[in-house]
Amino acid sequence: MNYTQKLTLLVIVLFSTFAFAQRKKEPTIQEKIWGKEVLTEITNIPEQWKNESAVYLFRTIDYIYDRPHNSIEYTKISHSRIKLQDQAAVTEFSTFKYPVNNSYYSYGMSKVTNKLTVGVKIIKPDGTEVVIDTEKEVIENEKEKKLAIPNLEKGDIIDYFFYENSIMGENDLYHYSPVENYVNTVYPIMNYKFALTTEKDFFINYSSLNGAPELTRKDIATKNKKDNRREYFFELTNVAKNNSKRWFYPYLELPAYKFQVNFARTGKYEKKAYTFISEDANKIKSTIKKEDIFNFYEDKFRPYGKLGDVQRFLKDKKFSSNEEKIKAVYYYIRHKYFTNYIEALIVDDADIIYPYEYYGKNPIFFNEEKDFIRFFAAFLKEEKIDYEILVGTKRYNGDIDNLLLESNVNFLMKVNTTPALYIESFNHISNVNRINHLLEDTNAYALKVTDRKYIEDIETITFPKSTYQQNNNTEKLVVTISDDFSVATVNKTATYNGHNKLDEQKDRLKFYDYVYEDYKKYGTKPLYEKIKNKKTKAKYKKEFEALIAKMKEKQKEKFKSHSNNEYSFEIDNYDFSIIQTGRYSATEPFEINEQFEITDDLIKRAGKNYVIEAGKLIGNQVEIDEKEKIRDHHIYMGYPRSFNNEISITIPEGYTVAGLEKLNTTVTNSTGGFESSATVNNNTLTITTHKFYANNFEKKENWNKMIDFLEAAYQFTQEKILFKKQ
Amino acid sequence: MTRYILLLTLFTYFFTVGQKHSDPTPEHIQQAKKLKSEYPDENIIILNNKEYVSFDKAKKSNKVIVTHKNYEELMNVNHRSDIQKYLYYDGESYINTFKFKYRNKKDAYFDIRDEAVSDDEMFHHDARVKYANVDFPVQGYKYYFESVKTTTDIKYFTSLYFTNKYHTLKKQIKIVVPKWLEIDFKEMNFDGYDIVKKESFDEKQNTKTITYTVNNLTGEFDEKRAPGPSYVYPHLLVLAKSFEKDGEKQLLFNQTKDLYTWYKTLINSMDEKPEELQEKVTELTENATSEEEKIKNIYYWVQDNIRYIAFEDGIAGFKPDESQNVFKKRYGDCKGMANLTKQMLKLAGFDARLTWIGTKRIAYDYSTPSLSVDNHMICTLFKDGKKIFLDGTEKFNSFGEYAERIQGKQVLIENGDNYILAKVPVNAALKNKETYNFNAKIIDDALVGTVSKTYTGESRASFLYHFNTTKKDKREIALNNYLNNDDKNLSVSNIVTSNIENRDKLLSIDYNLAQKNAVSSFDDEIYIDLDYHKEFGKFEFKNRNTDYLFSHKKHLSSTITLEIPDGYKIYETPKEVHADTENYTIDVNFKQTGNKLTYTKKFILKNAVIKTTDFNAWNDIIEKLHSVYQEQLILTKHN
Repeated sequence: MNYTQKLTLLVIVLFSTFAFAQRKKEPTIQEKIWGKEVLTEITNIPEQWKNESAVYLFRTIDYIYDRPHNSIEYTKISHSRIKLQDQAAVTEFSTFKYPVNNSYYSYGMSKVTNKLTVGVKIIKPDGTEVVIDTEKEVIENEKEKKLAIPNLEKGDIIDYFFYENSIMGENDLYHYSPVENYVNTVYPIMNYKFALTTEKDFFINYSSLNGAPELTRKDIATKNKKDNRREYFFELTNVAKNNSKRWFYPYLELPAYKFQVNFARTGKYEKKAYTFISEDANKIKSTIKKEDIFNFYEDKFRPYGKLGDVQRFLKDKKFSSNEEKIKAVYYYIRHKYFTNYIEALIVDDADIIYPYEYYGKNPIFFNEEKDFIRFFAAFLKEEKIDYEILVGTKRYNGDIDNLLLESNVNFLMKVNTTPALYIESFNHISNVNRINHLLEDTNAYALKVTDRKYIEDIETITFPKSTYQQNNNTEKLVVTISDDFSVATVNKTATYNGHNKLDEQKDRLKFYDYVYEDYKKYGTKPLYEKIKNKKTKAKYKKEFEALIAKMKEKQKEKFKSHSNNEYSFEIDNYDFSIIQTGRYSATEPFEINEQFEITDDLIKRAGKNYVIEAGKLIGNQVEIDEKEKIRDHHIYMGYPRSFNNEISITIPEGYTVAGLEKLNTTVTNSTGGFESSATVNNNTLTITTHKFYANNFEKKENWNKMIDFLEAAYQFTQEKILFKKQ
Repeated sequence: MTRYILLLTLFTYFFTVGQKHSDPTPEHIQQAKKLKSEYPDENIIILNNKEYVSFDKAKKSNKVIVTHKNYEELMNVNHRSDIQKYLYYDGESYINTFKFKYRNKKDAYFDIRDEAVSDDEMFHHDARVKYANVDFPVQGYKYYFESVKTTTDIKYFTSLYFTNKYHTLKKQIKIVVPKWLEIDFKEMNFDGYDIVKKESFDEKQNTKTITYTVNNLTGEFDEKRAPGPSYVYPHLLVLAKSFEKDGEKQLLFNQTKDLYTWYKTLINSMDEKPEELQEKVTELTENATSEEEKIKNIYYWVQDNIRYIAFEDGIAGFKPDESQNVFKKRYGDCKGMANLTKQMLKLAGFDARLTWIGTKRIAYDYSTPSLSVDNHMICTLFKDGKKIFLDGTEKFNSFGEYAERIQGKQVLIENGDNYILAKVPVNAALKNKETYNFNAKIIDDALVGTVSKTYTGESRASFLYHFNTTKKDKREIALNNYLNNDDKNLSVSNIVTSNIENRDKLLSIDYNLAQKNAVSSFDDEIYIDLDYHKEFGKFEFKNRNTDYLFSHKKHLSSTITLEIPDGYKIYETPKEVHADTENYTIDVNFKQTGNKLTYTKKFILKNAVIKTTDFNAWNDIIEKLHSVYQEQLILTKHN
């Protein structure tokens, strides 16, 4: 066959394929989705939902994982049909805004094509369907696509879908992002369906939670049986709406599903998967057992790290115990491999100089938690100190027995000194012996390390829990009232302990508050001293000082607004100082001092006397309104905690105090309590309060007990005293 | 585990060179410090700003092109400043130059972005912005900023503002007007500013040069509820009247008639098919028993069923969408709604016309023909010799009542080839009356009793709008939270309302109220915080530079009647507060009759504004009011 003949044949083949394709037109996405058999006949809303703003007649979520040709394809279709019962719902669905969707990029060696298609139609009360031409109507700019929905009225049904599709050139191994969702939405749902469709070589981890039904499998006939294509699904009817609630973990209460799909081309690649993966693509893995944890992490925590810096640090230092040594090394490496770089990040961000050349050729930097653990393990191995690695999951994910996703795993090291030390990966405010509050009192696995090197066993443990006494805020206020009763000057010292200190430190500390104390403590050099070039050095100094000055201005504003939010009155003439950062020990508090004036709303004239809103000086308290007093769900809080206040007010000369009896309260029960007292000594009135939440969890049956002390604390803020003219 | 942090030495080198001569000189630092002490609230000061405006005839169209050049010398007077420098443009303009230089005049390269402008009010429009994030690393640091913006049609070049975002030490606007262009620059808000104008003629070029200079110009005010910029800042209103091309005079907007003619051309180009509305109009009017009922049925249907979704892209910013489209889509902008109202009313046999109007935000009227005069469209109904204005964008607006934003404004009404000028009537504050009556007695340290509230006019419209656009299932809670101010000390029960969809009748809400923690007993005395609402108690104007505008004129009347418990008397009646000025009335009274204390308050904001000239007197009266609010009512036991 000569070349011309070949070409002719090719043309004919191509032409016939084309002609065939013409005859049997591929249905559009709209046709595929709207052509499917769905519950379109339902249009009436049950009586109990007649007063809802909108109701989903149905909502289906389809995840589809396919292997067309040499690619892997992911599709997510969320398709909803909603009856709009009021103007608010019409307005809500009047416009759609979504990201500019179609993109094409490279992922490793593969090319990825992403596409988002949106379809909308309206069903009028008489059954007429109006399909919106989304391609024509859409308005696009570089940020988003916008669609205004025409002809939408109260009583209409809106039927819409989002079709997300991603095709990737074939990889041997690919982990799709884990998915965690709960079924409930802001509107009630009459019919809900979740479906997951896959074929060969896709490995599924999946679990239904809190009453979401288990999956039903339906095999789908294909030309090649080996494809093993199947749909897994569950259905639910009459799902109530979900409103946001105080102290609530939805994944522990609402029907939900979690899953992750992994693609692995052959058995060889399954083993390389960096996540939990079932042994058989044909079987869903629904829980991760102790053995899975062991098998997966067994070889992932081999001690590894260059210990030169640590050795130099330890040289010539003596420690009274291993605990002391471990703590010292932990805080040292927190500085050496973290806070030491912070100036550079700040300077780079502010475009002052390009700083990274001043940190040597091989700076050590931990990209993830596991890197840190391996480094610290290397140090412990070197020091011949035994340890184990604890594998847990945060409380809001559920018990470790129900663990499904690697992304839900957290690690902690337990050093087997006496007493044991708990070590977590560091940040600028981390402490040895602080266990993430979301891990406290949860079950976990301990990976037992033999010879400080090999993980050879695993056992179940429970993380220790902290107490409300440990997680404490203590605020001491000294209040001085001006002679004319127009101004109250407050000097306030606040100490934050345990978990209570973490958020405060995060929120309030700026880099200069902790980086320089670290340089000083470890005798290391700040960036300024590393710069050799005189001109660069001069420029750096000027610009960096200006940057800090500006940051300090903002920090002061932030502190002030923090305090403003804490009280129900405006504060003025504000100043603050940080007494102690609390960064070098879990038991060392974070301590600040604040001074400010209150000119309004605290002191009210009453003839010759003055009414003082003394209760408000403890700061705003939780308000539980009548609606919130009814609770259907258990109560999930961060951690047990307590708050103490000590307020000293100098009684103005010539006045006595009345009304102290209202400031003496005690309400305590198994869930917590609020206690207060007020005493006068010489000319000083001292008010003390103590509020505590005994636990991090309460059953809903205990809600009334919590309300008792929360109401007592709130009521305290409403109490007034009288300065009575003698 | 370890990784190299990349050494971009080359980059560092360029960076260092780029910045080499840009550090502030000692003189600049000194100057910045001095400026900071003079203007302590400022971070950036424009030392010098020059703007040049020139005009050219478009080669391929019958339009005049405007080139607007801007040069700024910006200095950082604070420690460090990070600002966003931006310039807007749209479908009728483009930006040719947008660049920065260091103090040594070498180019400074910033990442210049160009994005569509998002606007919550408008679903889609053609406004875009070019911007850069600019850092001034130390005090005294300077940049030169340069921009050139071209407006492709002089019609859209409507004003030139003197005020910049930042305080400006020296400003010059130079306008070069060619002989072929007839143009006026109306000087607006020049009072109080030392703006110097000079004119010169260049015989050779055949141009007139107008130069305005001004020193020490305060930057824009960042103040809420301020009047529109056309009231506040000195500016030139550009009135391009005509130009000569190929020996012929081309009319721009020489007089109001020309503006109207242009608008009318757009209206005439609409492809109206009112027959498509006929069925709805019949449905709305067939059972109406009076003409007024017919009108209301149509007007209220438009208010309730047409959602405000605006597409203001190019000519769509001026030309209304056809009524049949708005009707079918059930959404539109003000022009679309005005046109639909007009067409529906016409089908019902009424004389209704499109009407252009500048809302209260705009300082101009039609004596200055310019596209900046109006920003809104309504419909005028001619009935029984009267003109009634209908604004479909207003929700729950009662027929015959006018929203504050259009009251007193001049309107341009279509009238064939001609036009009619008229004014929207101004309503008195009383039309928006809101009342509160609380009959209270003391029970267990709480104030307990019945409350009656009423609303009319804009207070009613505002209430109805918020209530009816709240989700159905949340309305009960929302009403409760509104009445108890979301405060657990106020407990509200037995709520009875009038028809909460009726926009024509007095709206009333009656309920029982228990106000806890308002009463404190000390020994034999009772201290009462009688007034929960304390309206305007903290409404002082501190450091404000612009008038304060309320959403509408207010007439609040509140009466709290307290039953004094047996065996008690009032220790001291609080002081009364009275003020009556052109813009407001405040009246606070206490009166005891038998065992009842009647506490009345009246607040009338006659013109929905507190002017800067009122601030001192207003603050004085608010301070008095505040001290009354802070004072406790004392009841003492009598023998």
